[in-house]
Amino acid sequence: MAMGHRQVPEGLLYDRNNYWVKVAGREASIGLTAYGQHTIGDILYLELVSPGAIVRKGEGFGSIESSKWVGALIAPVTGVVLNTNREVEASPRQINMDPYGQGWILRIELSDIEELKLLMKANAYRQWVEEQINREHQEEGAI
Amino acid sequence: MKMVWRFLDTGPLPAANNMALDKVILTSLGCGQASNTLRFLEFSPPCVLIGYHQAVELEVEEEYCRQHGIEINRRITGGGNLYLDEGQLGWEIFAHKETRGIPGNLEDMYRLMCEGVVTGLAKLGVEARFRPKNEIEVEGRKISGSGGTEMGNAFLYHGTLLTDFDVDTMIKCLKLPINKFDDQQIQTFRRRVICLREVLGYLPTIPVIKRSLAEGFAEAFKISLEPGDLMENEKLLWEKELPRFQSEEWIRGMRPKLQGSSLSVVDWKTRGGFIRVSVLLDQTRHRIKSAVITGDFLAYPEGSILDLEAAIKDSSSNPSDIMKTLRQFFAVNNMRIPGVEPEDFYHALCLAISKAGDSQGQAAV
Repeated sequence: MAMGHRQVPEGLLYDRNNYWVKVAGREASIGLTAYGQHTIGDILYLELVSPGAIVRKGEGFGSIESSKWVGALIAPVTGVVLNTNREVEASPRQINMDPYGQGWILRIELSDIEELKLLMKANAYRQWVEEQINREHQEEGAI
Repeated sequence: MKMVWRFLDTGPLPAANNMALDKVILTSLGCGQASNTLRFLEFSPPCVLIGYHQAVELEVEEEYCRQHGIEINRRITGGGNLYLDEGQLGWEIFAHKETRGIPGNLEDMYRLMCEGVVTGLAKLGVEARFRPKNEIEVEGRKISGSGGTEMGNAFLYHGTLLTDFDVDTMIKCLKLPINKFDDQQIQTFRRRVICLREVLGYLPTIPVIKRSLAEGFAEAFKISLEPGDLMENEKLLWEKELPRFQSEEWIRGMRPKLQGSSLSVVDWKTRGGFIRVSVLLDQTRHRIKSAVITGDFLAYPEGSILDLEAAIKDSSSNPSDIMKTLRQFFAVNNMRIPGVEPEDFYHALCLAISKAGDSQGQAAV
């Protein structure tokens, strides 16, 4: 695995579904991490909820497709959708190419700031990613 | 001790009923109510199904379907458009993600799922093989395609087996990467798929095919299958979900504005002959949706052109990415075509994409 997939910028918060959350006051941008997009692979389609929708932590806010597989996008925090990235909806590959920049997915107004305490800081997430990578290698050896 | 899975055979059903049932069983499994399940499904009347994220307008010849009583519906799984009549048998695996023996990564999981079909076909005397990402082929021709989805901790992976296939109707129903007025392209496309009747010279009865596939899955997954029925809660949920899957809102749920589909066909001269590249492009999302490559060249080993087409399918249409895709393909595949270089495919593909750009709006299919 290239170092790029292990990229975990400081200053963001993370969850175990491989989403990053960038907080600015009561607003937050959300996207998939470099490791998250790597595990999904080449993203073909993305469908997102509309602005104004309420997304709840742990529930779906859209769907994503790669390699003939449709998966759900799971919200890392609760809030009201302010806007979605129309560019990535039209060209989801931007998530693969620039997950922390052009590949952001949506912006929300946070409903519960306290939820942020449940997310990981960069160091903790970095360690968690390493554990996942080690586990994958062990599973590969077992097949 | 082998794990016991439920075995469901729901028989011929309309498309909406089958699609709703997919959602119902996956939900039931995700809630911990159902156990892992193998389902066989059939379709009557005939139908066209598109992938979850596809748009009907871009994938289906709607007028033809309407005139011929062919239903249109949308799957909850990924992948492309397909035509299903009484000559296809659907197979479906519903399982918990952490089921012992089921790989976590998609590539290995796809291989295992398809291994069940390959093992089952062997019992009918058919030598098949898995072709990445999601196909099963016999004699280099596609006999089964597949795709999947997940819900919580459960997943659905399903595919169709061509038993006795009406290729002509399929070509008329679906928007495909071929010029339908070009007999040579139609003939070539026809040779890309194969059905059991053609492989064996006769068609085994559907019960025999089902039994062989079921045994194949049981062997590949190291499980026992126990014939079962839908549970009461599943029947109730099915009744509740059905109207949604019959609705236009479900069938046409995708927004074609964020997608595109145009056909481009070019010929490229090489020392070894000419290459005809026919691509279906999504210019909005910069994707090669699918490609058919023909010409008067000779490729070794036989069928390797189909592997190349599979590698190009759903790939980026940016020239630098095309080069990368081709390099990756030729690095691991020992395809040889006297007088034709990998660069020839690159130039032909780029020309087709550039031509589509010139005639955008005119070549829409």
